Amino acid sequence: MATAEKPVSRKPQKAFYFNTSEHLLRIGRQKANTLSEVLDALQTCPDDSIFQHTFRTLQEHHFIRQGFSNDFAHWSLFACNEPALAEQFASVDIREFTAIEGLRRRMVEILDDFLHSQNRSGTRPAHEPFYFCASDIVVLPTAFCPNTLAGFLDGINQVTVHSIHHHFIEARLRLHRMSNDFSQWLEEEVGLNDTADAIERIDIYTNTMEGVRRQIARLVSQAMN
Amino acid sequence: MSSDDRHTLNASTAATDQHPPAKTVVRERSSPASHPQRRATDSRNNRGLPPSVLTPPVPPPPPHLDDYGAIVGQGQLETLRFLAKDLKGKTIKMVNSTAMGGGVAEMLNRLVPLLTELEVATHWDVITGGNDFFEITKAFHNALHGSSYELTQSAKDIFLTYNEQNRERMRFEEGMVVIHDPQPAALIRSCDKSKAHWVWRCHIDLSNPDAKVWEFLRPFVEQYDAAIFSSQSFARQLPIPQYLFYPCIDPLSEKNKELPDSRVQQICDEFGIDRSRPIVTQVSRFDRLKDPVGVVQAYKLAKKYVDCQLVLAGGGATDDPEGAAVLQEVKQVAADDPDIIILDLPPWCALEINAIQRASTIIIQKSLKEGFGLTVTEALWKGKPTIASAVGGIPNQIVHKLTGVLVHSVEGCAFQIRYLLTHPEFARSIGVNGREHVKENFLMTTNVKRWLLLFRTLEQAKSRHGKSS
Repeated sequence: MATAEKPVSRKPQKAFYFNTSEHLLRIGRQKANTLSEVLDALQTCPDDSIFQHTFRTLQEHHFIRQGFSNDFAHWSLFACNEPALAEQFASVDIREFTAIEGLRRRMVEILDDFLHSQNRSGTRPAHEPFYFCASDIVVLPTAFCPNTLAGFLDGINQVTVHSIHHHFIEARLRLHRMSNDFSQWLEEEVGLNDTADAIERIDIYTNTMEGVRRQIARLVSQAMN
Repeated sequence: MSSDDRHTLNASTAATDQHPPAKTVVRERSSPASHPQRRATDSRNNRGLPPSVLTPPVPPPPPHLDDYGAIVGQGQLETLRFLAKDLKGKTIKMVNSTAMGGGVAEMLNRLVPLLTELEVATHWDVITGGNDFFEITKAFHNALHGSSYELTQSAKDIFLTYNEQNRERMRFEEGMVVIHDPQPAALIRSCDKSKAHWVWRCHIDLSNPDAKVWEFLRPFVEQYDAAIFSSQSFARQLPIPQYLFYPCIDPLSEKNKELPDSRVQQICDEFGIDRSRPIVTQVSRFDRLKDPVGVVQAYKLAKKYVDCQLVLAGGGATDDPEGAAVLQEVKQVAADDPDIIILDLPPWCALEINAIQRASTIIIQKSLKEGFGLTVTEALWKGKPTIASAVGGIPNQIVHKLTGVLVHSVEGCAFQIRYLLTHPEFARSIGVNGREHVKENFLMTTNVKRWLLLFRTLEQAKSRHGKSS
C-alpha cells in the first residue's frame, strides 16, 4: 500500500474543509416478506432507500472489520437463509458506483438472476420482513479547514469517523467520479498523485473506519517525510 | 408460609451465614402484602439481600454535556452544539403520563436538561387523570400490544375527557410539541397546530394492535406532523412521516457508568457470586415473557459441557402476583443447583445490576417477546458477549455473530453458552463490536442528536412549505 513519493511540491491553493454528515432515519412505506417482494421494492423504492441500505448502513457498522457489507446481504443470509445470494450482495463494492441508479441496477440484477435460477426461493416467507428505510441527510462543517498538509493530517486524525465516511465514501455520489475528497485534494492542490491513488485503493470492507483513518494518516505522513 | 417459602428462607439464611450453600441460592425481598406480620416487626426483613440495597440511594445530580466528551469524543459534542446553534432560542415541550418510574420518564430526566443546556429550552409536562383514566390507558396499552379488549363508548369518553382537561390546563407555546405514547395522544385534537410542530413519540410496539383501539387512536395520530417509533417493525402505515429513534441508555447513569473493579468485587461478594468461575447472567423482571425458566434450562444443558454459574437478577416478584408465581417456577426448575443464584432486587439497585453485568462472562436475554430490550443495550455497552432472542427490537442491536448472537430456542441458547465460554477470542470480539454499536447508535448523546435533527428537518419543511404556498 505504501508508495515512494517525491517530497511535497507545492502549497495548497485551497483549504480542505472537513465536513461531516448526520442522518435522520425515516421508516419507509415499503416492506417485503419474500425475496420476490424485495425485488419489486428494489425497483421502485426511492434512491434514498438504496443509499440507506448500502452506503449508510456501512457507516452505521463502521466498527466491524469484516462480515458486514449491506442490509440486503445481511437479510438474505439471516432472514432468508440464502448464503449464495448473500455472498453476491456482499461482494458489491459501493465505491464502484458514482450514482445510486447504477447501484440499484446491480442489486436488481443480482436478485433477478438468483430468482431465475432458484425460482422457489422467491416466494418463501422470510423469518422477518425487510423494512425499506431512508435517511434525511444534514451536512455540517467541522472546526477543521487546513490549508497545509500538516493541518490536513491533523484534521484526518481528529475528525469523527462520520467525517471520514463523508469524504472518503459518500463523496463519490457528490463528485460523480471514482475518487474521494481526500485524494482529489491531495492530487489537485498538493500534487501528491501517488498518495492520492494509494488512499483510493484502501479496502473499506476489510477495515474498520478507524482503520481507514489510520491508513490515510500513515500515507500522508509518509508523503510529508 | 408455604413449604417453598421455608425452603427459600433456609437456603438464603445459610448463604448469609456464610456456610457453603447446599441448594440454589435465592436472595429476595420479603413480600409485605403477603406477610403482614413480618412487615410489622421488621420491614427490612429480606431473607438474604445485603443491607446496602435495602433503601434507595440518593440519586446523583444529572451530568452535563461536557461530561460525555470522554466517552463519545469532542467531535460528537461539537456536532450537537452546531445542530443546536440554528435552533437557539427555540423551545420544545415534552408531554408524557408519568414523572417517575418507567423508561420514558428515565429518558426524559436526562434528555430535557441536555437539550436545555444546548439552549433549546425544553419543558416537560405530565398529564393528570383519575384512576378511571389510567385504568383505561393501561388497557389501551395492553390492547395495542395485541391483547384483546372490548372498547366501550364510556372508555372513549373518559379518555377524551381527561385529554381535554389536560389540554385546557396546559399551554402550548413551544416550537415543537412532543407527545409520548397513547395516553396524551388526543391532546392534539383541538389545539392550534399552526404554531408548533406536533410529534407523536410512540415507545410501544404497534405491529399487532387490537383493531378497535388502534382505529380509535389513529385519527389523532394522523393529525401530527410526524411519528417516531423505536423499531421499524413497531410502526404502522400512516400518511405522516415516520422516523426511527432507537431508545437509548445513559453511559453516566448508575446502571451504566464505569465502576472500579474493587466495587464490582465487593458487590459480587455481597451476593455470593464467585468471580473465579464463569458467570452467565440474565437481568430481567420475573416475567414469563423474559423466559427465566428457559434460561435455567439452557444453563443446565450447557453445564453438561462447561463449568459456569447462572445469575438471574431482577425484580417484580414482590409487587406483582404473576412475578411471584414465575419466581416459584424458576426456583422449582433450578432445584438444588448451588451454582444458580436468583436475586429478586428492589428497583433502585441500578449500581448492583451494573456490577453484576460487569462481572459476568456472558449475558443472556432470552425473551419470548420484547420491546426494544434495553438490558441488551446495557450488556453490549459493557462489552459483554451477549446471547439474545431474535424478538422485538433486539435484532436492531445484535447483528448475528458480529455484535452478539441471536437464538431462537433453549437448545440454541445452550449451544451459544458452550461456544462462547470455550471460544474467548470470538466472545471478546463480539463484545468489542457490541460496545461500539451502542456507542454509535444507542447512547443518550445520539438521542439528543436525533431530536435536534428532527427539529431542524421539521423547521426546514415548514420553511419550504411556506415558500411554495
